[in-house]
Amino acid sequence: MPEEGGKGDPLPEELDTVPDVKQDPSELTELRRLLVGQERRRLEELERRLDELSLTPEELADKLPDAVALRTARDKQLARSLAPTLQDAFSESVRHNPQNIAHAIFPILGPAIRKAIGETMAGIVNTINRAIEHSLSLRGLKWRIEAWRTGVPFAQIVVKHALVYRVEQVLLIHAETGLLLAEVTAEGLTAQDADLISSMMTAIRDFVQDSFDSGSEEKGDLRTFEVGERTVLVEQGPEAHIAAVVSGQPPGSVLEQLQATLETIHLHFTVPLTNFDGDATPFEQTRPLLQECLQTVVATDRPTGLGLAPRIAWVAAILVVVVLASLAFRSAQRWRAALDVLEDEPGIVLIELERGWRTWHLSGLLDPAAAEPMSLLARMGLDTTRLEARWKPYVSFEPSLILARANRMLDPPASVALALGGDTLYAAGSATPEWIAGLVRSSSLPPGVIAVDVSGLTEILPPELAELKDDVEQHRIQFAIGSVALDATARAILDDVANAFQRLRDVAEERNYEAALNIVGRTDTTGSNETNRLLSQQRADGVRSILAGRGIQGVAMNAFGVGTSDPLSSTSAIDQARINRSVSFLVRVTFGTDRGGTQE
Amino acid sequence: MIQKKICMVGMFATGKTSLVQKFVYSRFSEKYHSTVGVKIDRKQVEVEGTTVKLLLWDLAGKDEFQDVPASYLRGSGGLFYVVDGTRRETLEQLYALHAMAHETVGDVPTIVALNKKDLTDQWLLQRDDYDALSDRGLYTLGTSAKTGEGVEDAFLWLAAATIKS
Repeated sequence: MPEEGGKGDPLPEELDTVPDVKQDPSELTELRRLLVGQERRRLEELERRLDELSLTPEELADKLPDAVALRTARDKQLARSLAPTLQDAFSESVRHNPQNIAHAIFPILGPAIRKAIGETMAGIVNTINRAIEHSLSLRGLKWRIEAWRTGVPFAQIVVKHALVYRVEQVLLIHAETGLLLAEVTAEGLTAQDADLISSMMTAIRDFVQDSFDSGSEEKGDLRTFEVGERTVLVEQGPEAHIAAVVSGQPPGSVLEQLQATLETIHLHFTVPLTNFDGDATPFEQTRPLLQECLQTVVATDRPTGLGLAPRIAWVAAILVVVVLASLAFRSAQRWRAALDVLEDEPGIVLIELERGWRTWHLSGLLDPAAAEPMSLLARMGLDTTRLEARWKPYVSFEPSLILARANRMLDPPASVALALGGDTLYAAGSATPEWIAGLVRSSSLPPGVIAVDVSGLTEILPPELAELKDDVEQHRIQFAIGSVALDATARAILDDVANAFQRLRDVAEERNYEAALNIVGRTDTTGSNETNRLLSQQRADGVRSILAGRGIQGVAMNAFGVGTSDPLSSTSAIDQARINRSVSFLVRVTFGTDRGGTQE
Repeated sequence: MIQKKICMVGMFATGKTSLVQKFVYSRFSEKYHSTVGVKIDRKQVEVEGTTVKLLLWDLAGKDEFQDVPASYLRGSGGLFYVVDGTRRETLEQLYALHAMAHETVGDVPTIVALNKKDLTDQWLLQRDDYDALSDRGLYTLGTSAKTGEGVEDAFLWLAAATIKS
């Protein structure tokens, strides 16, 4: 207050003009005291008050509230100035008597703590749910990479991404009747019974209002309630309410959006709202507005992916397709492999192969000598009912098939092996002359064969004849030393020989063979060679004439005397001499009358 | 399509819930279940070529401890009163209920179902009662939630009345 001070200054000076005659002695001072003492004291009092303060506490008490209000309205200086004092005072108060403060703030403490804990817990639970849900997913992996890349703890990344919610359904409800005016549901979700929900919600709201605010003027509003994992946000207007069913933790922005939408609807639909009589048709037009409430939220950072159930359905569908495709592929592969095998099979030519829905259609050439294609496929484990084949017969020149055909046509005995070299058929082993002759003279060779080589074949008699031949040849006629006489024993043997040979002749004739009998006479080694040769010839001739007498005629029957030149051999010398004083028999059986050459 | 809110009003145990159950689900149970608060059901009907979806507010019946809350009645397109024909007091109390409801919702179509008609040997209402009701402009119909008699008619009549009003 410098101005006021300035005004105050001249006053004492003016007063000082009175006692200006200072030089006067003490009487004068005394006089002055007597004359103006009372005034002087009053002046001094005034002076002191002016010096000390311009306001008394009483005056200050009157003016302080206004002053505080004025100053607070003007700027924040007062708060700033008071803050340190208030802090000190508060600390001091807590130090001296904490009970007071505790009592004072108790009413706000509980709700504040509950609110804070509630919000934190809801956030944590939500975050944990999301974290668990995503920890193994692709999204979770992406977040881990983000955490690693940015150096931010994973938990924070999860919080950043996972504080999600979804506005699933928005209802516009007529305030008075609780009837549903309009409703939208997020894509992919099944709409709940919106009309029942809106009625129930209205009933609940009525109940809440009746129950909690029956006495007071101000009506309590049902703003939010939770059903399972969903939160229902309700925004109330005079004519209509809007309610949003939200899964997850809805942020404040959702409510703001609802408020704005409700205001817009009230603005544009005033008349239909006031005149509503149960016909909700005019409110169809609010759907885009309500839709926005769904969309706005969709645009925030929430998972836009499919829900778990559709995801499982998709995976299952894909699996089924994959399994079916791989089964079909495997089946097709098996068929192709089998048909390849078929194609490689001699005597089978596939010309056309077509795959139908379930069956294969096949046409081709089939050599009658080839393996049966259907049984081949069946052996490979294929369902031959799925094959429709049309075969045309043909002749294959595959060596194996030429051989197969040759074997079938020539029917060789087991002792003969056929082989093919170029277009010549080689026969090896042993066979009866009649079979060999048949082969050589054969007029029709199997297709693909133009020559037959039988040089590898040994002729053998048919077993029957060989047996009969042995029968004859086992006999031997013994002679005494130097004798040609045929005793009774010898004659009996000759009867047997004659019978055996006759049997042989009969069988041979039947089978177009010719039999000849060689009669070989021998001697022991005593005596000269010339004598012995003669003796042996005589012995053979003797036997021959006897046999001729036994009815063996008209056949070649030769008698030879070989002397000692071609002896029969034995282990003992005495026996050796004895067995060579004999006549033995050799039977020649030749095939066919027209065939020359002898076969032993 | 028109939607209408219909309130079922009456004393306790007059058969409000049973009538709704019979009408909506075609079922009836002898057991008595006291309705707490309100239960809402829905049924779509065709009246005179118009589809009307009725939202049936089955209110808890009035008893000595509890009034029918007026707030539930607000916005009703029609009132469905239910009287138990074997308990005279349910009719006597109806007039008070009607006065209260009228104050809240004004003139809306109203029907009085004289229920439990199957219990003929216990029936207490007489000619005078019917006359008294019709003197007050209340349309009445005998119903039985047990046999189904009159149930469909009563609701359809009220539905038709609501769309005409």
